Amino acid sequence: MGEVMWIEVLSRHGEVGSRQRIDGDAATVGRAFDNDVVLDDPHVAPHHLRISRGEDGELVAEDLGTLNGLFHEHGTTRTPRVSLAKDPGIRIGRTVLRVHDSRHPVAPERLLTPPRAHAKWAIGLGVLVVGALAILEWLDLTAEPNATVIVRPVLGFMTGLALWTGAWALVSRIFLGQARFALQLRIALSACAALIVWDQLTESISFSFAWRALSDYAGLGFWVLLAAVCWAHLRVIGPRHMRVAMGLVVALTCAGAALQYLARSESQKLVGTRASLGDLRPPEFRLAPLASADDFFRKAAFTKAKVDQARAREPSSGSLFGDEATD
Amino acid sequence: MMLRLGLLAAALLSSASFAAAQPSAPAAPLSAAAPLSTAAERVFDLAKPRILQIRSLLQATGRQSSLGSGFLVTPEGLAITNYHVVSQYALDPKTYRLEFLAPDGSKGALRLLAFDVAHDLAVVKVDRGDLPYFEFDPRALADNLPKGERIYAMGNPLDLGFTIVEGTYNGLVDKSYDERIHFSGAINPGMSGGPVAGGDGRIVGVNVAKRLDGENVGFLVPAKFASDLIDRAKKGPPLVVDKAREEVGRQLASWQASFYATLRDRGFRSSSFGPYRGLESAAPWMTCWGATNADAIPKPRTAVNSTRCSSATGIFVSDRILTGRLDFAYSYFKAVDLNAFQFSKELSQRSWGFDGGLSKRLTEQECRDDFVEAGTGARPPLRATWCMRAYREFEGLYNVTLLALTQDRDREALLAQLTMQGVSYDNAVALGRRFLEAIEWAK
Repeated sequence: MGEVMWIEVLSRHGEVGSRQRIDGDAATVGRAFDNDVVLDDPHVAPHHLRISRGEDGELVAEDLGTLNGLFHEHGTTRTPRVSLAKDPGIRIGRTVLRVHDSRHPVAPERLLTPPRAHAKWAIGLGVLVVGALAILEWLDLTAEPNATVIVRPVLGFMTGLALWTGAWALVSRIFLGQARFALQLRIALSACAALIVWDQLTESISFSFAWRALSDYAGLGFWVLLAAVCWAHLRVIGPRHMRVAMGLVVALTCAGAALQYLARSESQKLVGTRASLGDLRPPEFRLAPLASADDFFRKAAFTKAKVDQARAREPSSGSLFGDEATD
Repeated sequence: MMLRLGLLAAALLSSASFAAAQPSAPAAPLSAAAPLSTAAERVFDLAKPRILQIRSLLQATGRQSSLGSGFLVTPEGLAITNYHVVSQYALDPKTYRLEFLAPDGSKGALRLLAFDVAHDLAVVKVDRGDLPYFEFDPRALADNLPKGERIYAMGNPLDLGFTIVEGTYNGLVDKSYDERIHFSGAINPGMSGGPVAGGDGRIVGVNVAKRLDGENVGFLVPAKFASDLIDRAKKGPPLVVDKAREEVGRQLASWQASFYATLRDRGFRSSSFGPYRGLESAAPWMTCWGATNADAIPKPRTAVNSTRCSSATGIFVSDRILTGRLDFAYSYFKAVDLNAFQFSKELSQRSWGFDGGLSKRLTEQECRDDFVEAGTGARPPLRATWCMRAYREFEGLYNVTLLALTQDRDREALLAQLTMQGVSYDNAVALGRRFLEAIEWAK
């Protein structure tokens, strides 16, 4: 028939360890040297598996009567016969095999990132982010102008960035075999740029429309960005266990965000809040129309309703040692 | 310990631990015999069976938690003291009880009959009849006492024993909304509520507070308020102690009503701050202070000139609640070499209200922000914040902070702050609106 099949033996890390071309309709797999594919797994029988074509021409694996049996790649129930048409992965002993037909579709060719593209991006973004940080620090500088006041936070940022990127590069080196430092740096810098834009945008909008709640909760954006940047770093390392890792990241960022807001509301309860005008911008940033005094005091009436509710919810207790509060 | 009259004065109430903590300095030997005041001897002799030490005791352990003084003013055993001496019991009768100790060593329970929170007075009843008592000085009731008259303050300072202190009547305090006699003489914690009598032994006033930043500057409640309260206690329905808290709330509400009505009657003036104008009260009891950073080193990058006018009214409600204060504060900022962004940052860092704090006696703060044009005519637009907290224990009373910042120039601004403590919502809105409407351009 001239049909060809490929049997791949996966390494313990899940990559293809060896790939063998079988010319013909059937092949055997086992420890014995008369097989087409020879495995060294001690949990595999000398003659463990036979792979052949069924009547419809699809590949099928059959257990040749072994101790440890045959499983789907991720399956837990022993199966004497596995059809390989939909799911080419099987497990025998501790070895995972994949069997492909010559018609097996492959992904289209991916465009090669030009050499040093990530590095160029990272440098460009880096200049942009560091410049933006320095300018923002300068715009916030109300005390004596002093180079260290601007340089120190910028240096601190660069150190943090280097540590963060280095950590991801190390993880990538361990699991992927490549550090991909430039790409990791580009991802981290993109996130920093996004964070700066988000921060400035929310603060400005919060001022422009007198929406103080926006700046109170804009911090949640940081946690969303953190989760997104972790996702991007993980994707570089590889798609394996992506779901588990992302679940972990989302859980951790949610916990972080919750903890931050809980701590803030607790500290507000503990130390109280002082009236303030919040983060101000130059008057030109105002976009909201001017309210009349009537409108303003109508809004103020909501604060009365709110504090009256709070008072009704938590009435002052009477005595600590007495039986009951005075009614 | 408690503070009176805003930030500058302390009252006389003390715990015993305070007294014990003070080391006593060895007395300097007297080189010449000081002339003895025979009047003081006479007054103390007369007063001795008529003064009391008044103690708040913890119900659970019977130990004293605060001490003050008092004095008998009717044959039925009615005695005057300070409200702050009995405030623990009034607000929490299940935890505290009252007891008196007379100079002859006799003790007994006290009943609280009436109090006047604003004037810091209370009437208690001793469960004994036919006791000697003080009379009020008719000249004092008619505000007709000459400055410089010798008067005698009595009480039990720091739980050291009954004491008489000679001092001088110095008339009513000038800048004070609530009438207070200025007494030049040493009064100390524990003497709160004790009598102050003239040379004939008749009551001129009641010890109430002293200034911590001065020497021998004491304050007395004028006798007429004590006499009025005695009349109320005799005629009025008896106080139900379990409802005393509601009564405190009623008195605070009516105090603020008359305070803000008087404030309106006294009128307002428009003061200028750089190119802006703002509202200030014309009432004589508003004390104003100014401050500048012009002489700061290094040279400031924003010039700040601020003024603050305070009513200096501080009503003691309990150890944790001091209320009744009204502040008008203005800060005029002008950038020296800051750009518009840096200037707005500077303003964000400085735009904080005075009234904050962690008192659990108030609800958490609620605020609303907006850009406001408070009236017609040429006036700067404002960025304003209205913040409110409610008194948990007293219905209808709030602490309100109103902040407003002019928004017409980017390197110059006026920050106006209005702080009202223990105010009704209507009074707060009325004054707040007036305050915003008065922020204008000078010219």
